[in-house]
Amino acid sequence: MHWNFHAKDGREPLWISHKQNNANLVGVCKQEMLQKKNAVLVDGVILNGPIMDSKAGETFVEEACKIIMEEVVQKADDVTEKVCEWQAPEELKQILDLEMRDTGECHQKILQHCRDVIKYSVKTNHPRFFNQLYAGIDYYSLVARFITEALNPSVYTYEVSPVFLLVEEAVIKKMIEFIGWEEGDGIFNPGGSVSNMYAMNLARYKFCPEIKEKGLSGLPRLVLFASEECHYSMKKAASFLGIGTENVYFIKTDERGKMIPEELEKQVQRARKEGSAPFLVCATAGTTVLGAFDPLDKIADICEKHGLWLHVDASWGGSALISRKHHRLLHGIHRADSVAWNPHKMLLAGIQCCALLVKDNSGLLKRCYSAEAAYLFQQDKFYDVSYDTGDKSIQCSRRPDAFKFWLMWKALGTTGLEERVNRALALARYLVEEIKKREGFQLLLEPEYANVCFWYIPPSLRKMEDGPEFWQKLHQVAPIIKERMMKKGSMMLGYQPHRGKVNFFRQVVISPQELIESKKN
Amino acid sequence: MAEPSGIGNSIPLDNPGLDIAAGEEFLQEVFQILLEEGVRKSTDVTQKVCDWKEPQELRELLDLELRNEGEEQERLLQRCRDVLRLSVRTGHPRFFNQLFSGLDHHALAGRFLTETLNTSPYTYEVAPVLVLMEEQVLAKLRELVGWSSGDGIFAPGGSMSNTLAMNVARFQRFPESRSKGTWDLPRLALFASQESHYSILKGAALLGIGTDNVHLVRTDERGKMIPEELEKEIQRVKAEGSEPLFVCATSGTTVLGSFDPLDAIADVCARHGLWLHVDAAWGGSALLSPQLRHLLAGIHRADSVTWNPHKLLTVGLQCSAFLLHDSSGLLQRCHGAGATYLFQRDKFYDVSLDTGDKSPQCGRRADGLKLWVLWKAVGTQGLAQRVERAFAATRYLLEQVKRREGFQLVMEPEFLNLCFWFIPPSLRGQDSSPEFWDKLGKVAPAIKEKMIRRGSMMVGYQPHGSRVNFFRQIITNPAVTRQDLDFFLDEIQELGWDL
Repeated sequence: MHWNFHAKDGREPLWISHKQNNANLVGVCKQEMLQKKNAVLVDGVILNGPIMDSKAGETFVEEACKIIMEEVVQKADDVTEKVCEWQAPEELKQILDLEMRDTGECHQKILQHCRDVIKYSVKTNHPRFFNQLYAGIDYYSLVARFITEALNPSVYTYEVSPVFLLVEEAVIKKMIEFIGWEEGDGIFNPGGSVSNMYAMNLARYKFCPEIKEKGLSGLPRLVLFASEECHYSMKKAASFLGIGTENVYFIKTDERGKMIPEELEKQVQRARKEGSAPFLVCATAGTTVLGAFDPLDKIADICEKHGLWLHVDASWGGSALISRKHHRLLHGIHRADSVAWNPHKMLLAGIQCCALLVKDNSGLLKRCYSAEAAYLFQQDKFYDVSYDTGDKSIQCSRRPDAFKFWLMWKALGTTGLEERVNRALALARYLVEEIKKREGFQLLLEPEYANVCFWYIPPSLRKMEDGPEFWQKLHQVAPIIKERMMKKGSMMLGYQPHRGKVNFFRQVVISPQELIESKKN
Repeated sequence: MAEPSGIGNSIPLDNPGLDIAAGEEFLQEVFQILLEEGVRKSTDVTQKVCDWKEPQELRELLDLELRNEGEEQERLLQRCRDVLRLSVRTGHPRFFNQLFSGLDHHALAGRFLTETLNTSPYTYEVAPVLVLMEEQVLAKLRELVGWSSGDGIFAPGGSMSNTLAMNVARFQRFPESRSKGTWDLPRLALFASQESHYSILKGAALLGIGTDNVHLVRTDERGKMIPEELEKEIQRVKAEGSEPLFVCATSGTTVLGSFDPLDAIADVCARHGLWLHVDAAWGGSALLSPQLRHLLAGIHRADSVTWNPHKLLTVGLQCSAFLLHDSSGLLQRCHGAGATYLFQRDKFYDVSLDTGDKSPQCGRRADGLKLWVLWKAVGTQGLAQRVERAFAATRYLLEQVKRREGFQLVMEPEFLNLCFWFIPPSLRGQDSSPEFWDKLGKVAPAIKEKMIRRGSMMVGYQPHGSRVNFFRQIITNPAVTRQDLDFFLDEIQELGWDL
């Protein structure tokens, strides 16, 4: 049914009908417009017709999508394709022709740029991309993302983003169920680092709401605790919030990378003795390098005893909650006050998809963050304005990041997502067994999760005595192998030094496309 | 073929864990739906701007519940169609509600590409093209600001960019505060105009500076910061014992679209040694137009600038650049943490390209690609034409508003924000009566409700200062024509006639 807005005077919308071949078109077609008879000129600009040629634009989008489909999506599961097409930076700059000039280029040229961008970008959806805590491709999430890109919404108010607001609400509610809370609050953020920052600020606000208005100047030092294996966003957040990185007390971990609760107790006591004010403990469920899970129950006991906010950074490990087999890794998480959980990691929801979940249901999140701007959050709207949840956020405009997770969940169901997690961890287990069998491979520790950390010891070093010289030489092995694999384009895998241990590989198992075959390689 | 290996609960691991063929087929099908429903129709005036549903009804229609089992392709395709149908069409030529609107096909292709590449531009190794591209785009934006060197990063929105500015300013003056915190610092004072965006307040709270320490400086009748008032305010807070740190001048305020006088403000900042940040999230794109750049005269004197191409340049949310004049590595020193698992020093390439550590974020979206594709497609001149067109369209509408009975301008717009009241016949000639303004304040919400229910268009309204609800008409969409603008006024008139 067409909505005829011009019934009154019978005029039709003035379109530019494009008969030319689209191939050589540029974005602006002023020439054509000038030829129209009743051109309305204001300040030298023609206002009758739109400035863009919709038809040519639509054709361009179709062609670009075709390229994306063929070059990225269809090749995503093909192990014979390269993971990366290495170029040194100066060469890559030349190839890409990055310069942005005064005049535009024709569509064919732009499409070629798209092909080049694809060619020289790392294929994070390749079955042998193991470099980060994200990988792979989920078609449903991708579809959802294309939809939201085309719609270009901003999730601040119901009037402008009704669907995505309700979807976010439903997803948060579901995630909260898996944490084990009966009710709660939450919001999607541009990153786990931002979720952690939110939680830190929220805990601070709960501790002393006046800080929102008065700031920290002149107050006693607030102190927070996190394991020495925690993500660096705790430090970044502490400094951003004005707390200071020195006021993050790092708690010792055991040989498996898990926070030692007795050490936490000690540090809290120490902080009290010093006269500083402990307010927050951040436990990590799935540390970045080792994939270790802090013992949440014991940590929760300490937090309860001392009246501290417990935040669980489950950005990486949170997805284990969906697996009945593995959710025991996060046993005790329901005792947390807040949880960060990134479905864009193990669940392949697509960057970015990060939630901060909050146990409080009294509107703490809103009180902490709202500014009640009158131009956006009017109170006299004709619908229930409690739906305008955007004021809970630090952000003003915000992306509909929950939607891709929702559509994927609809497509796969909880059981499908559970299989994904179980499969990743089964693959990790398989890899661990293989590493143990193979000569020259040495496991760092038995992984709890999907991080398989190991050294590769080349034959030349195998007979060498254990000592500083051995470790020094071993330290150089991973960077060289990494360079070779990238220049070959066969695979990508991360390495790092860590807590006194020399460079080792961190193999991260996520992508459902991975096969045993590729694991063997 | 080797024996299928099953580890643990007999999960077969020899084959991929998802149905690739089905997934690709689904993607293809949705492409078709998307091109028709999401792209073609989104700029079509014969479509509704929105399909209003009450929240409870919408919940039921969407069937939001997440269940144990997955659904069939057909059901999922229907869901996709529903979402497209029930969402607001922000690309529609009659969506005037926010400081963004429209759909650019080149940028859209860039966005589809960004989604498919699915990566985070923290290091050259993982995102070589995107890292180089971000640097290129930021350099171009800096050039337009008038800087031949500098630094910057893309942030998830103008609010975050503004907050980054405050944090960098604080770090520059008190580098130790990064590690020690701000406990022992004097009470800092930040300044912004009364018309500034609320993110300055939100940012001050987040950073631990406190909203009380944001001093809002008086503006003139055109919504522009009064430099003499800024000077007074600085003196006043100094006398109270606070330490002035940072001034945020706004180039294109949210409601009125006014531009603070940057040169005069820069003089005040120079005199007191204060950091000058220019929030040009909205107005920055005027720098592209030789005709309009004078609105931001003096911007090169800023220490930092926020500029959101996702507003006027139709690039797609989000695209917000935080630009810094400093090129000594201040941003890196302020935010960098040097995490050894990500920013290794012993890589085989020049690690100064691993720019991700400059951000307080870890994972981040590659927001530069869509802007780059658009720029390549239309060139600086093409973008300038869009800006000028939006401006010309505003001038046209302004003339019409002045001519038509019942339409009363709030003020002459400097930029693209056309603010006006519609006075229905029943209230005309009664502006001396005490209830006039009270009654007038109810008009815009009533008209808004009608237009949304009808789905014919969307435009924002708000109360502002002592003024009752008025409309704020914003034109950014290059697809908007004179007919759309005539319609806009006709529609308001029609919907408000009998109020």
